[in-house]
Parts: sequence; C-alpha cells; structure tokens
Amino acid sequence: MSGADAMIHEEALGWVIRSRDPHFVDWDAFMLWLERDTAHAAAYDALMAADEALAPIIPAELAMVPHPANDPGYRPRHPWRWIAGGAIAAAAVGAISLSLINSTDIYTISTRPGETRLIALGDGTRIELNGDTRLRLDRLNPRFATLDGGEAAFTVRHDAKDPFRVTVGDALFEDAGTIFNIVRSGGSTRIGVSEGKVIYNPKAEAIALTAGRALADDAAGVRLMTVARDAVASWRQGRLVYENAALGEIAPDIARSLGIALAMTPGARAMHFTGTIRLQRDPAQFFAAAAPLMGLAAVRQGDGWLLKEEDGPRR
Amino acid sequence: MASGLSAIFLENRPALLRFLRARGAAEDAEDLLQDIWMKLETRDIGPVLDPLPYLYRMANNLMLDRYRSAIRRDRREQDWADGVGGVMADPSEQVAIDEQMILKQRLDEARGVLRALGPRVEIIFRRFRIEGVGQRVIAQDLGVSLTTVEKDLQKAYRAMLLLKQKLDTE
Repeated sequence: MSGADAMIHEEALGWVIRSRDPHFVDWDAFMLWLERDTAHAAAYDALMAADEALAPIIPAELAMVPHPANDPGYRPRHPWRWIAGGAIAAAAVGAISLSLINSTDIYTISTRPGETRLIALGDGTRIELNGDTRLRLDRLNPRFATLDGGEAAFTVRHDAKDPFRVTVGDALFEDAGTIFNIVRSGGSTRIGVSEGKVIYNPKAEAIALTAGRALADDAAGVRLMTVARDAVASWRQGRLVYENAALGEIAPDIARSLGIALAMTPGARAMHFTGTIRLQRDPAQFFAAAAPLMGLAAVRQGDGWLLKEEDGPRR
Repeated sequence: MASGLSAIFLENRPALLRFLRARGAAEDAEDLLQDIWMKLETRDIGPVLDPLPYLYRMANNLMLDRYRSAIRRDRREQDWADGVGGVMADPSEQVAIDEQMILKQRLDEARGVLRALGPRVEIIFRRFRIEGVGQRVIAQDLGVSLTTVEKDLQKAYRAMLLLKQKLDTE
C-alpha cells in the first residue's frame, strides 16, 4: 500500500467507526470527506464490508471460560431471590495482630479461614478482612495497601490530593470516595463498588468503576459487570449475594467465610446460582440450608466438605 | 400521506442527492433517491428522533447494499470462470466438524489478539461492535474521553482487520 493509500485507509477507518455509531450525526463532514477524492467512497465501502466480515471471528462470549459458564455482567438484572429466616452470623471482629516483615515499614495483617478482622487506619479509613486473607500495609504511607489473597472491604476516607491506593497482583485500584470490596483468589481479582468510585489502573486503562459496577480480571480476561450495591461486601452482614455466578467461584467464598476446606464435583462447579446465601457458624447447619438452595448436596469428606449434584430428580 | 419524515426528505432532497453522488452512486443517484422516497411512503416508520441523520443513514445503507451485491456478483462470475461454480461441497458431518474446529481456532486467535490490546481496548471494542453501544455512552461509562474511545476502537479495528486478512490468506 502506498503512502497515500495508507492515509486514505486510515481516514476511511475513522469514518467507518464514526458512522457505525448509532448516534452518528455528522453526515455533512462525512460528505465533504467523500467529495475530496473519489477513492474515499471506495475505501469506505471496502472497509465497511471488511467490518461486516469480522462478525464470525468476534468471540460472542466475553471471554474464554474453562467451564460452560457465562458472564453475568451483560445479562439483564434478575430480581434477587431472598432466603427467609436464618440467623445472621455476627462477624467476629478480632484483635489486630501485626507481624513485621523484616525490618521494613511494610507489615502484613492476616486472618485465618473463618475469622474476620476490622482494621482502622489513622485517617479514618476502615478495612474489613474476611477469612483467609492477607493484606500488606505501609507504616509510612497510610494511603496504600496490597491485597495478596482473600477478600477485603474498604471504606475509604477520600482525599482527592492523596487518593487511597490498593494493589492486587498487577492491578492498581485508586479510590475516588468509596466503599469497595476486593477478592483475590488464585490469579484472579474481583472488585465491586458499593459507594463512590474506584479507578482501575489509573496510569494505564484508567477505567472508572462507579457504585454498582464490578470488574473481574482472571485467566478469562477482563470484564465489567453490574452488581447490586448492597451485595458488595455483603459477607460483612453474614450473607453472600450472587447473580448468575458459577458455583465454582462461590466455593472459595464459602470456604473463606466458614473456615473449612470445600471441594466440588466438576458438574457442581459448572452450575450457576442467583440468590443470597446466609452464613452460619456451624458448617452442618449452614449446608443443610444452603446446599439445597444451590441445587446441591453437601457431604462430609475427611476434614472438609464436598458439594455435589443432588441425587434424584431436580426440583 | 406526507409524514414528518417525508417532509424532511423533500426539504433536504438536494443535500441527499449530493450525498449519494459523493458516495459514488453516479447516474443512479436519482433512482436511489426515488427508492428512499418509496420506502418512506409505503412503510410505516414510527416517529424518528433525529429525522435528517436517519435519512442519511438510509441513503448510506442503500449504497452499502449496492456494494455488497456487486461484490457477490463479481465473485459468482469469478467462480464461473474458474469452473468451480457448479461444485457443491460435500455436506457430510466430517466437513461440518472440520469447519467447527477451524471456526473455534479462529475465535481463539481473535480472542488472543483482543486480549493483547489490553483490557480497556477489548472492553470498548466489544461494547461498540457486539453490543452496538454508542461511543459517547461508552466514554461516560468508563470515565474516559471520547477521543480515547475512538483511538481504542481504531486500535482494535486495525488489529482485527489484519487478523482477518491473515486468516483469509491461510
């Protein structure tokens, strides 16, 4: 392609993108561009046809998921199914134990499975840790945290001049006046925003997540989704809220909250759940109520539990 | 019955004619304009929020249809000349499975291309191209500028068109 052709191609691509927009109105400018050179219309037509030909190779699913799951983000909201009854397990707020790493100013706070902790930082920011969670803080910089694993809910005192930042894996989240919840499990990260706004990777993608928005970043890719605001960090109220979530993703949440080892059959993993699960301290009582709700049966297995598909016909 | 849209059409007839000529309709421009008029008069088109852009869109779509059928005609003639026009593909299951595998490979490759562009580009491209969301709405949703959205779309398009070209020559 000659230099002039390449230029026309680039300009035509610009017009393809603009004119494909459902709200495109600048037809006058488009006409002027077309009139400048008869080659413009031909280039535009060819690129519109090429755009159309892309359809079969654009993955319809948002991302490759190892099990036959689908992404909850782009589905219409379903009304939540609520469970009646069930005592709300009070979250035990334990004392904070700090363990120094070497002699640096970074310190780690961790919780055991089933244990929760509240951390109050000097500036009024509160961090609530769910079970089996590791968080690093910096003595010299109280506006900074690293979530190495597990789940934490952040209620941040906002300071536009000195935003609160959380790093999770390679990702950076920056608050803009916020309550948000982050889950780090394996290589995947999920964040949900309950109030205010969080900026994801402000120096790179700079995606603004407003209240009611969530972002997941895992082997399958990055997806944006919608969450019920009161479902964000609902573990603090002793409940776990899901909308069309794969049960394979729910299992770590249960294990972390109850402090148990939890395995699942592959069939159970691939199933989906919408609704609220009440947490209870006693695993036997918990599963008696929660397993049928998820369409599963729970059995003890060694020291832990196994969730499997219900025997007999589904209700 | 001249609806609101027909009235706008009559008012803007010269501009629409000029647009069709600019789009390469040449001597067919008048006929195409007549086609649009017929559609407006015979079809029950509900109230249109932005009538003039709507008419331009109709004219543009007509030109795209024309281009598509010209390409198809060329291809048929080419196939005829190559002597493959009358050969039907064997509709056995084996072929279908092979095609499915190829399609799956292509989708995986496309996924890889999109992922490599980074999450923001991928998200913007999907919302625009698959969900048909406008750029202004996407920009607002993600809290980025309109320019950023357009640049990201260009990046995604360049990469995807390049991939398509590569797949077609394989």
